[in-house]
Amino acid sequence: MASRFWTQGGDSETEEEESDYEQEDNEVPVEDINKAAKSKYLQGSDTESDDEDGQKRVVKSVKDKRFEEMTATIDQMKNAMKINDWVSLQESFDKINKQLEKVMRVNESDRVPNVYIKALVMLEDFLNQALANKEAKKKMSSSNAKALNSMKQKLKKNNKQYEEMINKYRENPEVEEEEDGDDDDEDGEDEDSEFEEDPSKLGMESDAEEDEDKEAGEDDANETGPGWEKMMSKKDKLMDKQFKDPSQITWDTVNKKFKEIVAARGRKGTGRIELVEQLTFLTRVAKTPAQKLEILFSVVSAQFDVNPSLNTHMPINVWKKCVQNLLTILDILTQYTNIVVDDMVEPDENETQKGTDYNGAIRIWGNLVAFLERIDVEFFKSLQVIDPHTREYIERLRDEPTLAVLSQNVQEYLERAGDNKGAAKVALKRVELIYYKPQEVYDAMRKLAEQNEGGEGEADGEPKAVEESRAPPSFVATPEIVPRKSTFPESSRTLMDILVSLIYRSGDERTKARAMLCDIYHHALLDEFSTSRDLLLMSHLQDSIQHMDISTQILFNRAMAQLGLSAFRVGLIAEGHGCLSELYSAGRVKELLAQGVSQSRFHEKTPEQERMERRRQMPYHMHINLELLEAVHLICAMLLEVPNMAANSHDAKRKVISKTFRRLLEVSERQTFTGPPENVRDHVMAATRALRQGDYQKAFDVINSLDIWRLLRNKDSVLEMLRAKIKEEALRTYLFTYSSSYDSLSLDQLAKMFDLSDKQTHSIVSKMMITEELHASWDQPTRCMVFHDVEHTRLQALAFHLTEKLTVLAESNERAQESRIGGGGLENLPLRRRDGQDYAAAAASGGTARWQDLSFSQGRHGTGGGRTGYNAGGRTYSGQAGGFSRDRTGQSRGVGRTYQTGSAARASQMDGSTRMVSLNRGAYA
Amino acid sequence: MANYDLTPRIAPNLDRHLVFPLLEFLQERQLYPDQDILRAKLELLNQTNMVDYAMDIHRAFYHTEDVPQDMVDRRAEVVARLKALEEGASPLVSFLQNENAYQELRAEKQYNLQMLNERYQIGPEQIEALYQYAKFQFECGNYSGAADYLYLYRTLCTNSERSLSALWGKLAAEILMQNWDIALDELNRVKEIIDSKSFSSPLNQVQNRIWLMHWSLFIFFNHDNGRTQIIDLFNQDKYLNAIQTSAPHLLRYLATAFVVNKRRRPQFKDFIKVIQQEQYSYEDPITEFLACVYVKYDFDAAQQKMRECEEVILNDPFLGKRAEEGNFASVPLRDEFLENARLFIFETYCRIHQRIDMGVLAEKLNLNYEEAERWIVNLIRTSKLDAKIDSKTGTVLMEPNQPNVYEQLIDHTKALSGRTYKLVSQLLEHAQTQQAAR
Repeated sequence: MASRFWTQGGDSETEEEESDYEQEDNEVPVEDINKAAKSKYLQGSDTESDDEDGQKRVVKSVKDKRFEEMTATIDQMKNAMKINDWVSLQESFDKINKQLEKVMRVNESDRVPNVYIKALVMLEDFLNQALANKEAKKKMSSSNAKALNSMKQKLKKNNKQYEEMINKYRENPEVEEEEDGDDDDEDGEDEDSEFEEDPSKLGMESDAEEDEDKEAGEDDANETGPGWEKMMSKKDKLMDKQFKDPSQITWDTVNKKFKEIVAARGRKGTGRIELVEQLTFLTRVAKTPAQKLEILFSVVSAQFDVNPSLNTHMPINVWKKCVQNLLTILDILTQYTNIVVDDMVEPDENETQKGTDYNGAIRIWGNLVAFLERIDVEFFKSLQVIDPHTREYIERLRDEPTLAVLSQNVQEYLERAGDNKGAAKVALKRVELIYYKPQEVYDAMRKLAEQNEGGEGEADGEPKAVEESRAPPSFVATPEIVPRKSTFPESSRTLMDILVSLIYRSGDERTKARAMLCDIYHHALLDEFSTSRDLLLMSHLQDSIQHMDISTQILFNRAMAQLGLSAFRVGLIAEGHGCLSELYSAGRVKELLAQGVSQSRFHEKTPEQERMERRRQMPYHMHINLELLEAVHLICAMLLEVPNMAANSHDAKRKVISKTFRRLLEVSERQTFTGPPENVRDHVMAATRALRQGDYQKAFDVINSLDIWRLLRNKDSVLEMLRAKIKEEALRTYLFTYSSSYDSLSLDQLAKMFDLSDKQTHSIVSKMMITEELHASWDQPTRCMVFHDVEHTRLQALAFHLTEKLTVLAESNERAQESRIGGGGLENLPLRRRDGQDYAAAAASGGTARWQDLSFSQGRHGTGGGRTGYNAGGRTYSGQAGGFSRDRTGQSRGVGRTYQTGSAARASQMDGSTRMVSLNRGAYA
Repeated sequence: MANYDLTPRIAPNLDRHLVFPLLEFLQERQLYPDQDILRAKLELLNQTNMVDYAMDIHRAFYHTEDVPQDMVDRRAEVVARLKALEEGASPLVSFLQNENAYQELRAEKQYNLQMLNERYQIGPEQIEALYQYAKFQFECGNYSGAADYLYLYRTLCTNSERSLSALWGKLAAEILMQNWDIALDELNRVKEIIDSKSFSSPLNQVQNRIWLMHWSLFIFFNHDNGRTQIIDLFNQDKYLNAIQTSAPHLLRYLATAFVVNKRRRPQFKDFIKVIQQEQYSYEDPITEFLACVYVKYDFDAAQQKMRECEEVILNDPFLGKRAEEGNFASVPLRDEFLENARLFIFETYCRIHQRIDMGVLAEKLNLNYEEAERWIVNLIRTSKLDAKIDSKTGTVLMEPNQPNVYEQLIDHTKALSGRTYKLVSQLLEHAQTQQAAR
């Protein structure tokens, strides 16, 4: 019995299981009856006592009543058949089975009433007919078809029990009477208990309602009208009756009913969908616009309640209705400008009584912004949950313009109402709808929105017509004032600019920060790297981002990733690497971008954490392609790291630009055999191997063979840029590696080797000479470069290392002493200290207390960026590096002439990092 | 060459009156049609009270002798208002013009106010009137009067907001009177206030800095010592940021100042980075020249840019200031700039070469062979360049310049011992004081 509670899904599968149980039941009838009786006590005793009372008092009438009920239900079924409504048919069928049981009990006979059998026969015929008609079946709505299928199975099972009788009836429709019905009785009872035990199940609601109804109006069931009424619950019908006569409806009755319904909200046993329907009905009979508005607000919040769980989304049809309701709300608000929506003041009890002609302000409780945000959240959630590879997902995405329209309207209304803060919030929602869309996608959306207008009109027309016919025309007609079609400017940038400037003007901190990030993202998407970088630096978001909520942090990461991509597209390799390296340093890209969960070996996540994480996920269509991101990151790292490694060949551990890249390279070098590249990583590694030999062509070919490049809009120009960069870095690597083997090298030959123009080659080599990476000089008349033999011997190199370390040691001693004693009188300290503070300020997360040992360890091992917060972003590392190298520059300046090899490498690092410093400096506006 | 003209970008950041010198310059250079400039002037004047001047321009512009009636009306109105204001301020003015009475004022403002109030019945209204009067004077073009009154006003003013605007007014007046020394003092005063004052929003502060920098251009390119000071001012982090965010065109002036200023090398490197970074937002031949020499090492392009720079300098109202010596006019800044730019190119060029053909060098330096040779000989003679000329092959030979390894090592470690000594002695000192304390 217990298991039955669980198997109560109501679909065909469980039904089959049930039938098994039923057979069992038949074998042990006595026991079952007891159980059934017991379970009956468990449920609301209302029915029970009622029944018993009735039985004792007026047996006759009760008996009649049951029969009447049954016939009424059969009538309903007939109606349902007429309009081919299998959903209500199924409902009625369940109902009739239950009623049968009651009838049997009342009659105290074991004989199935004739009427019931007749209904079964009728139903069976109709079912067969429906099944035969394939065409019609196809046309059915999904829910209807589903109902039909389950009906088929149910009926088959049910009819088995009455087979004999049915056959008899078929033979002779008039003859019936006197058959055994013992089992049926139990069966009925079973079903009954089954149904009543699960009040939350929606299908059952009507049963409970029905019982209540009995108290309310005995003859209610008789009143059942045409078929569509079955869709409504009894309560609806009741209301319908109550409000049947339009002339009798007053504001008071509606208000009373409204209060009643609202009071029932949230109570156990109140069906959520039920509630929505009742309220929707009330909106039609509302007397004044204000009242209608008030009720509509309740409808919307009731609709939000339909889905109580945080993890699942609101049913899509409810969502759509909800949007429609909100639009209606806006219609009313626009039509009657004297109505003010407010969630601060508790409005007057009879505020809504004031009619159309009332001139003063009418205050209604409600919060449009919150509603809109909720709608948006539900939309987002539904996209998270739906499998992105299905048609459903695309269908769902098509609702996006609807949402855009709604938010646009709400925003306009709020602006008119002078609620700029709210408007900013809504504008943010709109920004979040479009910021990740490149112009092409945006155009597509715009087109869709325009087409929708036509399509939607039709779609809207139909339900509207039904509604119209179903209910008396509503008292307060609301024409569609608010546009149902959003107006998108030509370019997404224009729209972004409008919205974002609105938000900057009047948004709160979080809204502004998010809008800023979206803005950055969007600029980066449009290849405006410098603009978006300036925005990022001026906003100081890097400093405060770790104090923000996680979803904003994710947005920050996304913006950083996009910034990196855009830097790469315009050919700024170092910047691109700076933006992306932090994302990849911990190997948790997916997590950081909320594009899937990465498994961590080291710590298990609790289910709670996992759920939280799942809730944060980005919907698929907003994803940044991870392969592309990885490729860009690795290529940037390659372009920086390969010449760097070549320059510091004698101690490779010294200056590491990208630890991730180094690690990957080590792994790939450890392999005995290297197969052809398969994934992005392999490709880049293969390219790296080629590049280290100076074979630029092969390196480029390997990278070019990656098929992610087709994701880029300006693929050709990017690849061209990449080719040029690879050549350049190949040249540099070549010179670093093989310069010791040459005494002189002609410019022409070099240019030919790397397929570069003389000018470019000259410029690259000159740069290397100036930065003292390469110890050579030009011999102008012969167009040759002459190498100077300044390589240090091993002993000399080691000696330099020693002195460097000594300097670091002395420095840290000084600092230690200073921090202990305070206020050192050392002449060179003030300068350093200032640098250090600078650095500490830059690396806000670094913590001032630890700065000395940090920079120390950097000097020794070149580590850094090891400690990264969940979201510290690329800036932590760059900040450290920046501060550090500034320190270094100061130092080398103080010492004067630096030795050559060391300074060569240092210069290159300095070059990179000071750029970051100046970036940082830009931030201190 | 009008495409490198910065006037439209500078003008919005200047006072109305300060734009006149720029327009005058443009008129002189004939960069734009005369009519356009006259119209611009007329529009400027419409908002000021310099009605007489406006009438003159109007006549020149329309080539008539008639002056529209509204101008005449306005003139009468201005004169009337001037009279009214003068009257309002007259008690204070007469007091201030009285030497003896003026001596009674002390450094303390509060005391002064009280004293004035008690003895001369001069209250806040009169002081306010003085401010209005000064402002009106300024608008009428009587800068010296305005400057005097504003100076006096400042000694009596207690409202810091007002005081600041009086200071701005004084600065503008001094600039227009070309009293560069006084203007410089005023400039520093304004700067101090801007840096120390708390503004309602950072944006406001940045805007104030931008104004200050624009106004300062007048002073710096006319004052003798201006070229170092412009670097001091503009290259401060705060000001450089302001430039980068809102007024990248000021980079031209900073760049020029760096080029003509030899002593500013350390900051120069950072500045190159700024130029590189701001490339996307601002570019003109001067910054491009620096980029060519120090970023791209493209000497041919640098030379090309150098020629363009000359044009730019000549057409810039601040840079292209003429020095008249008798009937021989020259632009001193241009010569200086070119000389230094040449040196820049040559210096960098030499650093990466060990042998250079004189002919090529001469071409790169925009000189002829003889001149180039003389130039190099001069450099060698003043031991700025470690090189020799091989006149047989016509080349310059650079002396290799490799520091000795051992020297370097010693350099590295030299400071260490001193530092360690100091450290130890400090530690000891500390320990002793600790012990003494016990």
